[in-house]
Amino acid sequence: MKELTVTVRRFDPDVDKEPRYVTYMVKANEGARVLNVLHAIHDSIDPTLSYRYSCASGQCGSCAVRVNGEPVLACMEEAKDRITIEPLNLDVKKDLVTDLVPRLEQIASLIPKKETVLPKKADIDAIKPLKDCIECLCCVSVCPAVDVTKFLGPTAMRQEMRLALDPRDSGDRVSDAVRDGLFTCTTCQACWKVCPKEIETPAKAIEKLRAYANKRGFTLPRHKEVAAMVQETGRSIPRTSESFLEKVGDVIEPEGPVKATVGLFIGCVYNLRQQQSALDAMEVLKRNGIRVIIPKEQVCCGSPLIRTGQLAYVDELKRRNIETYQSRGIDTVLTMCAGCGTTLKHDYETPFKVIDINELLTQYGIEPPARLPIKATYHDPCHLMRGQGIHDQPRELIRKVVDLVEMPSICCGSGGGVRAGNPDEAAALGKRRGEEIKKTGAEIVITSCPFCEFHIAGHTDKPVKNIATVLLEGYREKDRKAGKR
Amino acid sequence: MLADEIVDSHVLVIGSGGAGVRAAIEASQYGKTVLISKTIVGKGGCTTMAEGGYNAVLREEDSCGIHYEDTLRGGAYLNDPELVNILTREAPLRMGDLVKWGAVFDFTDADEVAQRPFGGQRFPRTCYAGDRTGHEMMMTLVDRLAATDVVTVQEYTVIDLLKDGDAVIGAIALDEKGRLVVMKADSTVLATGGGTRVYDISTNSSSGTGDGYAMGYRAGAELIDMEMVQFHPTGAIIPYDARGRLVTEAVRGEGGVLKNAQGERFMKTYDPARMELSTRDVVARAIATEILKGRGTANGGVYLDVTHLPREQIETRLPVMLEQFLKFGVDIRMTPMEVAPTAHHIMGGLRITPACRTTLPGLFACGEVSGGVHGANRLGGNALAETQVFGKRAGEAAGKAAPRQKTVDERQVDAWQGRLDSFKKGSTNPAQVRQNLQLAMWQGAGIFRNAGALEETLKTIKQFQTVSLKAASSRNLAECCIVQNMCLTASLICRSALIRTESRGAHVRTDVAQTHDAEHSPFGHTFISQTREGIETRGMKA
Repeated sequence: MKELTVTVRRFDPDVDKEPRYVTYMVKANEGARVLNVLHAIHDSIDPTLSYRYSCASGQCGSCAVRVNGEPVLACMEEAKDRITIEPLNLDVKKDLVTDLVPRLEQIASLIPKKETVLPKKADIDAIKPLKDCIECLCCVSVCPAVDVTKFLGPTAMRQEMRLALDPRDSGDRVSDAVRDGLFTCTTCQACWKVCPKEIETPAKAIEKLRAYANKRGFTLPRHKEVAAMVQETGRSIPRTSESFLEKVGDVIEPEGPVKATVGLFIGCVYNLRQQQSALDAMEVLKRNGIRVIIPKEQVCCGSPLIRTGQLAYVDELKRRNIETYQSRGIDTVLTMCAGCGTTLKHDYETPFKVIDINELLTQYGIEPPARLPIKATYHDPCHLMRGQGIHDQPRELIRKVVDLVEMPSICCGSGGGVRAGNPDEAAALGKRRGEEIKKTGAEIVITSCPFCEFHIAGHTDKPVKNIATVLLEGYREKDRKAGKR
Repeated sequence: MLADEIVDSHVLVIGSGGAGVRAAIEASQYGKTVLISKTIVGKGGCTTMAEGGYNAVLREEDSCGIHYEDTLRGGAYLNDPELVNILTREAPLRMGDLVKWGAVFDFTDADEVAQRPFGGQRFPRTCYAGDRTGHEMMMTLVDRLAATDVVTVQEYTVIDLLKDGDAVIGAIALDEKGRLVVMKADSTVLATGGGTRVYDISTNSSSGTGDGYAMGYRAGAELIDMEMVQFHPTGAIIPYDARGRLVTEAVRGEGGVLKNAQGERFMKTYDPARMELSTRDVVARAIATEILKGRGTANGGVYLDVTHLPREQIETRLPVMLEQFLKFGVDIRMTPMEVAPTAHHIMGGLRITPACRTTLPGLFACGEVSGGVHGANRLGGNALAETQVFGKRAGEAAGKAAPRQKTVDERQVDAWQGRLDSFKKGSTNPAQVRQNLQLAMWQGAGIFRNAGALEETLKTIKQFQTVSLKAASSRNLAECCIVQNMCLTASLICRSALIRTESRGAHVRTDVAQTHDAEHSPFGHTFISQTREGIETRGMKA
């Protein structure tokens, strides 16, 4: 037996005005789960603690709660000392019990066709990965789109996709999905990162449904414009001034010895809108021994098309991009844009390694910059943190130059074609980011994605800076102090 | 005092597992149907946790006759033959319903429903959806239920059956805040599932607390074979809090082998012909014996080993097992599991006719709460089939039953209100009684039984039944009622176990010397009700 100290959020709407946090000392067995801790509180400390469970073996999805802010199944998550247990971010009925039923009832049901149709093995194999869902609603509880729109949520889309694949079903799943918010998903990946069954809903359901929707003519007009532009210019945004690729040479040689050589994949937004951030990054790379080859014939990675289900031209983009680097014998391609990085890593099969700039700089190490007397907060780009698992590296870099105050990692609203297609939703999510930024008391906001950088700048009065820009400012300060340059 | 709210329906189905939902779907064709559930429909009960599969004869090389014989032999010839006949004939039809309604069972390359071998069966007739078969069935049934006009009342706890004279006319329930609700119905279907939560080590979900047996008994129904408790051979043993969690028979069906601490495949001493795929009673006793004889692991189990199977087979056919063990730090692709028997299923239950009528007018029963289908030992894969076959039958019979004059007996409701009020003034935490009951049952009424220990356990239970339980708030009233039901169900198990003075199937009496085998047993069902108890003898049906 061991003793754990755990804090539980209690709330009885009949009595309490606001939730209260109560700390318990609980005796637990070695290997106890969070559910066992709740049992221990209920059975021997306070029988009025309300929580829901049924199978206690990860199969029914009744017991999902948040532990230290992260949704988990209480029955499967090991209980640790000093944890905080809270209900999922859904309507709370009492303590840890949330109101699941109304949301469960929104999930579509199979409506059999009049004549009996039997599935084939191929149908079964296609559907099966979408059938592991235990409807615990962890995904719904973290979905930013659910928070600000009428979107029914990730698992409802998973179910629409499962039904769309089933020859027995008579419903029109694609129209239903569009009606229920298919285009509100920012593809932030929060849903599948919390899914106890690891169902990859954005790629396996939402983007697939969007591709079906595209064939049915449901693609949003703004998304169609983007696709037309990519097809015409190779770029997803218009050229309004001299592009990054026009500004720079074919190779940027580092100042000191060469630690590594990479081919740069710049991406549309850094190339055509946030050029200065990209130029700052080149300065940082130069100073840290990275030789950068910059092929000029590179085109859009295809992310804006893949995320919105417009796949017709994607293979051509992939072919051109892969050929660009392969023909030069480049074995490592550097991305700076979180969206391009996740696309090259997951939607491409590349003959070269793809590395994000934060990974590269922490891998090879950087010259220490001067510390700036600034309090900063960091916004995790979804396609960096969840898409590529890059969480610690940017923080490591930031802490070298400024003080970092954390804020919750939530989508800013600019991904998945939402900024173009659903501007009101993007603005609502941006506004929430602005509020979180304000709460931190930070003087600047740092991020590492041109979409986030641009979008958040419209929703906060603090300067929004690229991580490379902040590092460069640290180097300039260092040089100034040393009386150089 | 009159109830706050009265719900009136033609059919009231109590319980939302596989049998209850199937019954409600069927009954809804005949009139207003209410499905009341202690949990959220689709999440509660044991069907959704059922892993291995559903037995149905689907191939020409197989036959219902063989399934019938396997089931009777597996049940130590205590099964009600007519119920077995129905089970084996209708299981394929109900499987057809599920497939038509959208169930995603695994298919073969020939586009047919795949089947795998299970214990005690001469043909691989267990249909499956990986090792989440029951979950797949529940998802399908809930889908279908949504297409009917069944009214679902969720997270309400039924605490007693409502009586009008001899007839059952509905139920008394508590809502989540502990308010009394009276539900009237022409027909009431009990589909409350099992009750092995009365044991310390059990596979059951939170709702496997035996409420249906207790409520049926209190209402005056007769129950049979309540001593027949199946101990599943393979339950998890570590960590302590995960003890009893089901390790599906599909693990052995896919080729998993059992070894003792010395690395011997000990099943060769107990059933050399069928080895690991012997019936559950035999395998559970074999494991328990190995452990008792000191050949168990340091953690008090035996090894269940699949490390010789291809990784891909484990990943696709046993994904839930793989995931669950990984969560506890064991990769079953590389390390053997450690397992020991766990209380799993109650074969006994309310006596039913082929139309699922109980001995009380107006009361029907289906699924695990009913008795007779599985005899003295259930074959793996027959329970999921039972839920569908008898769920449909109960729903149909209940639906077709004529409307009934229903007069609520205010004395019954008042008496309940009185009991609830007394819980508010009680003194003992019901959790304490529950834990002590579970330990007493595991020690005194487990795999190996004798009269002395059973009587001692019964005495302990009687003492628990006199304890003044305390409800810390109105929301805790249901818990008090449930603990009392657990005590009553446990007492029915012990009393029936004392009545059966033979070893048969899952019931082993170490204090009885016996010369007959199961097929030649002079005994039939045990029976127990408020008015009589005893055991049928051969050719003498009670």
